[in-house]
Amino acid sequence: MMVRAWRPAAIVACLSFPFLLWLGAPPSGAAVAALLLACALLAAPPVLDFLERHPGLARLVSHGVLLLFSAIALFPVLRVVSISLRPGDRLLSTSLELIPEGWTFGAYRQLFTDQPFLIWMRNSALVSVTATLIGLAFASTAGYAFSRYRFPGRRAGLLGVLTTQMFPATMLLLPLFVLLARLQLVDTLLGLGVIYVSTALPFSIWLMKGYYDTIPASLEEAALIDGASRIYAFWRIILPLAAPALVITALFSFMNAWTDYIVAAQILQDETMFTLPVGLKSFQSNMTTEWGLYAAAALIVSVPVVALFLFLNRWLVTGLTLGGVKD
Amino acid sequence: MTAPRRTSTPRLVLLCSLLAIGACSTSEWDGRLTIWHQMRPEERALLEEVVGDYQAQHPGLEIDLLYKETEELRSAYQAAAIASAGPELIFGPADQVGPFASMQLILPLETLIEPAFVDRFDPKGAVWFADHLYQLAPMVGNHLALVVNRDLVPAAPHTMGELIEIARELTIDHDGDGRPERYGLVWNYFEPYFFVPFLGGFGGRVMDDRARPTLDTPATRKALELVLALRDEHRVIPRECDYNIADTIFKEGRAGMIINGPWSWASYVDAGIEVEIARIPLIEESGLWPAPMVSAKGYSLNANLDEGPRRAAALGLLRHLTGEQVQARFSSQLAVIPTNRRVMESDAVRGDPMLQASLAQAEVGAPMPVVPEMRAVWDGMRPVVQAVLGGALSPEQAGARMQAAAERGIREMHEGEREDASARVLGGLVVACAAALGGALYLLGTRFLRPLWRMRSGAERESVSFALMMVAPAALAMAAVVVYPFGYNVLISLSNMSMSTIRDWQIVGLVQYFKVFADPVFYQVLLRTVVWTLGNVALHVFFGVSLACVIHQDLIARRFYKALLILPWAVPQYITALTWRGEFNAEYGAVNLLLGKVGIEPVAWLSGEGTTLAACLIANVWLGFPFMMMIALGALQSIPRDLYEAATIDGAGPWERLIHVTLPLLRPVMIPAITLGIVWTFNNLNVVWLISNGGEPSDQTHILVTYVYKAAFNLYRYGYAAALSMVIFAMLALFSVTFLKRSQAAEESVR
Repeated sequence: MMVRAWRPAAIVACLSFPFLLWLGAPPSGAAVAALLLACALLAAPPVLDFLERHPGLARLVSHGVLLLFSAIALFPVLRVVSISLRPGDRLLSTSLELIPEGWTFGAYRQLFTDQPFLIWMRNSALVSVTATLIGLAFASTAGYAFSRYRFPGRRAGLLGVLTTQMFPATMLLLPLFVLLARLQLVDTLLGLGVIYVSTALPFSIWLMKGYYDTIPASLEEAALIDGASRIYAFWRIILPLAAPALVITALFSFMNAWTDYIVAAQILQDETMFTLPVGLKSFQSNMTTEWGLYAAAALIVSVPVVALFLFLNRWLVTGLTLGGVKD
Repeated sequence: MTAPRRTSTPRLVLLCSLLAIGACSTSEWDGRLTIWHQMRPEERALLEEVVGDYQAQHPGLEIDLLYKETEELRSAYQAAAIASAGPELIFGPADQVGPFASMQLILPLETLIEPAFVDRFDPKGAVWFADHLYQLAPMVGNHLALVVNRDLVPAAPHTMGELIEIARELTIDHDGDGRPERYGLVWNYFEPYFFVPFLGGFGGRVMDDRARPTLDTPATRKALELVLALRDEHRVIPRECDYNIADTIFKEGRAGMIINGPWSWASYVDAGIEVEIARIPLIEESGLWPAPMVSAKGYSLNANLDEGPRRAAALGLLRHLTGEQVQARFSSQLAVIPTNRRVMESDAVRGDPMLQASLAQAEVGAPMPVVPEMRAVWDGMRPVVQAVLGGALSPEQAGARMQAAAERGIREMHEGEREDASARVLGGLVVACAAALGGALYLLGTRFLRPLWRMRSGAERESVSFALMMVAPAALAMAAVVVYPFGYNVLISLSNMSMSTIRDWQIVGLVQYFKVFADPVFYQVLLRTVVWTLGNVALHVFFGVSLACVIHQDLIARRFYKALLILPWAVPQYITALTWRGEFNAEYGAVNLLLGKVGIEPVAWLSGEGTTLAACLIANVWLGFPFMMMIALGALQSIPRDLYEAATIDGAGPWERLIHVTLPLLRPVMIPAITLGIVWTFNNLNVVWLISNGGEPSDQTHILVTYVYKAAFNLYRYGYAAALSMVIFAMLALFSVTFLKRSQAAEESVR
């Protein structure tokens, strides 16, 4: 039989061996693993051929692979669920059971009764939704201009948008704080919102621009020839078509604001102003962590994002089109 | 030359007026005082009560309390005080006094409070630094002691020999798997704070009275040998143990003894364990008691308080909270060691057995140094202790290593002080700045203004102005939040800003950049970062694309799989990072438990450098593959089916179709995603920082961003960190532009 995958197999073997060594694997183990990987790749073409001839088996294998990875994706999340149900503050146990012995909803009850959890939730929702809406407005217009118009500074602007992702974000914290302090915006949700809008913008603009690129320009050209204004063409013709990208951009902006901890921890100083992640961290003190509360709150923070992801699942694939910098 | 501390760009003024809605002037004090503290929950509750009573007696005064975790308290207070804001009072351990005082963030109190009041304190309660009184402490605490489970150990051991004997009897490993079901002793021995008592037990100390580290002594070797003997010879302590593990094992009644501080004792009682507090046993060889660090905890005043009613009110509150009455309440209700002499002599204190045991331990303890150099000592000790415990270093070598690392840290801490801005460097800098500004203006003119000017036709001008209008809001928002801090960062990177110069830093030119490139560690970390990034992204793409191909077929329950596979992406990163850290624990983590189920030996993931990186890698691949999968899935859907049909007719098998049809068509979509993936992974602090716990073991798992973070926020080397982040930025920008350009060129040549 022809050995069709010898090149990728050789490359993978040569690269994986030193990589595994670097990760602390013993040389013999690394060698065995590298060889196994190479063999797997060598075996791939005939196996694929075989599977194509047996579609029933292929389907079975596909389900097997997907089930395995779904389990891997789900497992750590289930562990958090399990911790949140554990009695007392015991994070550790050698059992792998999902429902721990003597399970209790105590942590959840405590969250909603003893802690200003609902206030944090309101703050988080307020700042995230506002930042999302404003960010969406800014990104959809800017992305449109970048996609459709040739104007001076366009290329520089696109590159600029990209390069903002390249600066270690933590180093911007101190100057940002100084800036907000001067504007008297420390400890306000407004100040936080302004930051969230701006930090989510680069990726949002890229997403929107990428999606507009896939919409044929002839659509609004026709409208413009018919005498429609540019705003009209954008607002009534293109924007509705860009709905998938809008949904995805909104999702990312929301997630950016909803899950941020580092910026919020620096800016919010009053417990009644906290957002959820900052409140969540207050269950972790110097030496002792209230793990039950922490896990329960972590789940509650995750639930809206996960729900949104699942709900928007179908849009996620179509709306996620990253544009290049090219014209 | 002092660097400008005010920005006067018109845009900022505009923003200021636009955004400062409702912001009132702060000249008039509104009767509010704020205290930031790091008290644990029981203390918090009592503090609230005490403050409530005080408010009731002082109408018109409103007092806010804010809890922050110790490290956060430090960094948040620093940022706030530097920006001339922050709380009036700050409560924390005495060791934060040194850094805060060096940065001039807290007020000297000796002129504000009469000596008679200070004299009522035990010397431990009045914290002096550099000849000024900076903190008044109503309590002493944080000293480790031996906590004994009375059910297992009827009488606490007096000497180390007795302890070992008891512990050997208690340690039981029924199934002989090397993981005992019960331990004699547990404690967080990987952390220097928990190791230091034994140093004292052999007559050593961490630093002398002039803040010079004194670690290169036989005491260091002997103390390390003792810990190693407990683990490897007597096998009475767990092989890998952090704070949470020790705490949990003890709470579950599976350990006879634990070494832990006063903050934990009440929780053991709550867990239903009958505890006895005792001194950490005597070391027979030296005849000395181990000496845990004893730290005062108290209040300081914000340096931004000017003379006036606000400061007077803050002082009044400070006096009340450190006064006799409040101390008596704290010590009687929470068994906290007081510092007021009268309270210390009171019957309530003398009659409390737990408090007496705590006092007995504190008596032989060593006072926690308040100088900022202590931070460098901890940082110097931590990696070496961990290296010795991991077997990478022998106890004989440890002392010299610690000493060298601590001395180096102290030198770096003071780097700003010794460098004077030389006129020549400054002159060159001015020229460079002028040149950069000129270049920017030239580019603006030729690239932006001239084309605008040259536009003759009205239609073109109209279309351009429309486009600019559409971009303007986004551009302004980004300019405000990105451009200003970025410029600030550039400035700092040219300065000597560090702990002692934080309030009066100077521009010193390219010194920090030279320092970055002269440091051999930089190249080591850079190499690690590159391998880390490429490894991660390769695996993200491999798993992402493979799963996308599988899921792209006509399968039942496709949406179900897609929903599950998205999960890692949807859960907030810091939550998953912390969860994964728990799962990699050698004895309790799910990873080893699962490996054990299939008969693989447990791996001590977080004690080795490579395995820690492997753990980070696994977690990060888990986090990152759904993004690539979604991108690939989108691209797959846009590939026309007839291409595959044509290829099949040409005799291509599934492998050939994958290599010659699918992958080339995925390329244009994947390239931008890969670029972003590389940039994100390169700059992702969360995963590595949280899973490796800040670069452990031995600072050998840093990638560039965690290295920067540590330099800036743990070591106060702002100038250095700013320069390093500029270098990171330049490298990534250069990489992305060339990578995108080359792949674009490659694509066009194919067409």
